[in-house]
Amino acid sequence: MNPYEAYKVLGIKEGADEEEIKRAYRELVKKYHPDQYRDNPLAKLAEEKLREINEAYEVLSKQRTTGPKTNYSYGGYKNTNNTNTDSNNGYYRDDFFSNVRVHINNGNIRTAEEILDSSSVRNAEWYYLKGLIFLRKGWQDEAYTHIQTAVNMDPGNLEYRATLSRIYNAYSQRKQSGYGTNNDTDICSFCQCLICSDCCCECMGGDLIPCC
Amino acid sequence: MFGYIMPEKPELKIKEYEMFKAFYCGVCKSIGKRIGQIPRVALNYDSTFLAILLFSLSDSSISIIQERCMLHPVKKKNIAAENEIVDYAADMNIILAYYNLKDDKIDNHNFVSSTGMFFLSPYYKKLKHKYKEKCDIIEKKLNELFELENRKCDSIDEVAEPFSKIMEEVMAYEPLCADKKVEKMLRWMGYNLGKWIYILDAYDDMEEDARNKKYNPLLVKYWNKNSEKNKINEEINQIKNEIKERIEFVLIYSLDQVIKTYELMDAKKVKGIIENIIYIGMLRKTEKILGTGSCRSFESI
Repeated sequence: MNPYEAYKVLGIKEGADEEEIKRAYRELVKKYHPDQYRDNPLAKLAEEKLREINEAYEVLSKQRTTGPKTNYSYGGYKNTNNTNTDSNNGYYRDDFFSNVRVHINNGNIRTAEEILDSSSVRNAEWYYLKGLIFLRKGWQDEAYTHIQTAVNMDPGNLEYRATLSRIYNAYSQRKQSGYGTNNDTDICSFCQCLICSDCCCECMGGDLIPCC
Repeated sequence: MFGYIMPEKPELKIKEYEMFKAFYCGVCKSIGKRIGQIPRVALNYDSTFLAILLFSLSDSSISIIQERCMLHPVKKKNIAAENEIVDYAADMNIILAYYNLKDDKIDNHNFVSSTGMFFLSPYYKKLKHKYKEKCDIIEKKLNELFELENRKCDSIDEVAEPFSKIMEEVMAYEPLCADKKVEKMLRWMGYNLGKWIYILDAYDDMEEDARNKKYNPLLVKYWNKNSEKNKINEEINQIKNEIKERIEFVLIYSLDQVIKTYELMDAKKVKGIIENIIYIGMLRKTEKILGTGSCRSFESI
């Protein structure tokens, strides 16, 4: 990748200073963070994008420092394989479920679902994996109820809880994003602010809005 | 398609607004010129979004011309000149309008939908020939939908699946799908758009469907129909309030998926309009129909 492309990947002007490069890089890493795409069939594509961003950042920081101070990077998202490892940690105890997990991670959702449905066990992990499968299929309502069931059945399991809160956060962050940075111009909050100020003034003996 | 996918006008730049209108008129003209004058009434905003998004991802360029049209005989309007993407969006608009009428006819047996189908069917036959594969899949999905409706399916995810798959098919514009990655993204975006539209429409139509005894997945799931006639509205309102949060979760989550997919896409042009629609317009629409936005009390003024 040449510096020109690198600037383009990071979405900044050529010749931007170090601060700008860092800021752009940090924002992009946040945006394409594996956590953001974990329950999404496009996870692999997001990974590729992140790799490209890391490469661009490296090209630019190398160009800048030209000294011994190279290889600066944020958060260690250079290694693309680290996103899948968590799902294998400590789950070898049950071959059946780990097999399902492998299929989910590789995107073979239909196979994963067939294997899972063939089981007669209905424990917390079953509900959790079923929920993950639903999420990949775009069945959000069922996904949420299944993972919620898993959490209820096994409240101590951190993985289930983490997934549930990740899903919930995606929803609540998007819900609040409406006008993004323009929130201050919202007419309702403006009115609220005026009325509150008026009340405060009246408490102190003054008056902001004379008519009320 | 139902026309829920709209930009938030106050947040558009003037040039973006003009561009959006040019695409809207372009799709309309394309229907008129290539398919026929009658189907032009079936035009809606969703297909404008389709045209703009596909255009943004493609390498093709578009020229804006100024023309008069039947509805605006005096003033010349900016119109996106015919190109293959605008034509594709026009075709998809007609195909979906036809299926929409078919769905309506099976549900209601009313005069309007039968007449509409009567007028559209010759055009539809032309298009079916052109997009054989797509139409086959869409018809199959539509049959699945009828089946689910007949057996009074009460899982909102399951009943939304056929329509979501239809939208997936519509979004998968063949020339762009030469790149498998792009195809994957278009399909996932289409699926989630379809889901959003279907659930939003179901929630929006609850009162009407209850009064007209039409199938609605949310009514099947949450309403026991033994209530007196004058109490229907009251009851439905109560149910709507109870399920609001759950429905909102599904809607916003699928919208979030649409946005995440867009962020992975390599959009080259008219990004302002697309971003306005998906970041603001669709969220506003969701808030408006659910009645959750912070400014809902201002609407009556």
